[in-house]
Amino acid sequence: MALDVETRQAENGATVVAPIGRLDVAGAPALKDAINEVVKNGPSKVVIDMEGISFVDSTGLGSVIAALKQIRGSEGGELRLAAPNQQVRVVLELTTLDRVFPYYATVEEALTGL
Amino acid sequence: MGTDHQDFVFTAELTELDEGLDILHRSIQRLREATGRTQDDRALMLFETALGEIGSNVLTHGRPPGIERPVEYTLRLDGGTLVASLSDSGVPVHEHLSREMPAHESETGRGLAMARSLLDELGYERDGEVNKWRLVKRL
Repeated sequence: MALDVETRQAENGATVVAPIGRLDVAGAPALKDAINEVVKNGPSKVVIDMEGISFVDSTGLGSVIAALKQIRGSEGGELRLAAPNQQVRVVLELTTLDRVFPYYATVEEALTGL
Repeated sequence: MGTDHQDFVFTAELTELDEGLDILHRSIQRLREATGRTQDDRALMLFETALGEIGSNVLTHGRPPGIERPVEYTLRLDGGTLVASLSDSGVPVHEHLSREMPAHESETGRGLAMARSLLDELGYERDGEVNKWRLVKRL
């Protein structure tokens, strides 16, 4: 099952990246490609809308960590996660990555103050 | 009730990464439907997460070039204990089994540590040229 990734511009200028499907070893390259496209255009404020992610594995998580490093590595760049389902939250907590990625209940909350 | 009674059995041969992962997740969905469990069932969700980790390792590294043998997969629920068995033809992996959770900035190396935490038992043995994995969780 391929991962589809939709990208849109929010009113405050931030970019919302919305993967749909399983963010796993098979789907992770699609997210990496989408993030590469976003950061190509300069420093970025990005929200990954995780509502459409049905399942994440450690490789998918690795692609989010790569995105974080890429985006925060640029001056003014910031990445926030929004609307993870229960399975994604469990994986973030199990790996203690919830300390690195504070996540927001909704995309609107994540965009506030970004 | 006979001793060979099983609540649920699913078997498959896996030959491709994408399709193999689809089949693993489909087997869990079939189990949900067969036992009236919902998507929110936490124990099953934890098991599926571990299965995704071991399954992706096996499908990525367990089919070396030139070896046609598929990955053999069985999922059984028996008396409230869920067991997944996977066998592959990759190289032995003993040295990776005790790998700890890596630092936050690492993009790889979490799979086995996650699977160990999520299961009641993660079994591994080398049988001739075959790796045999056994994932166990009480539901």
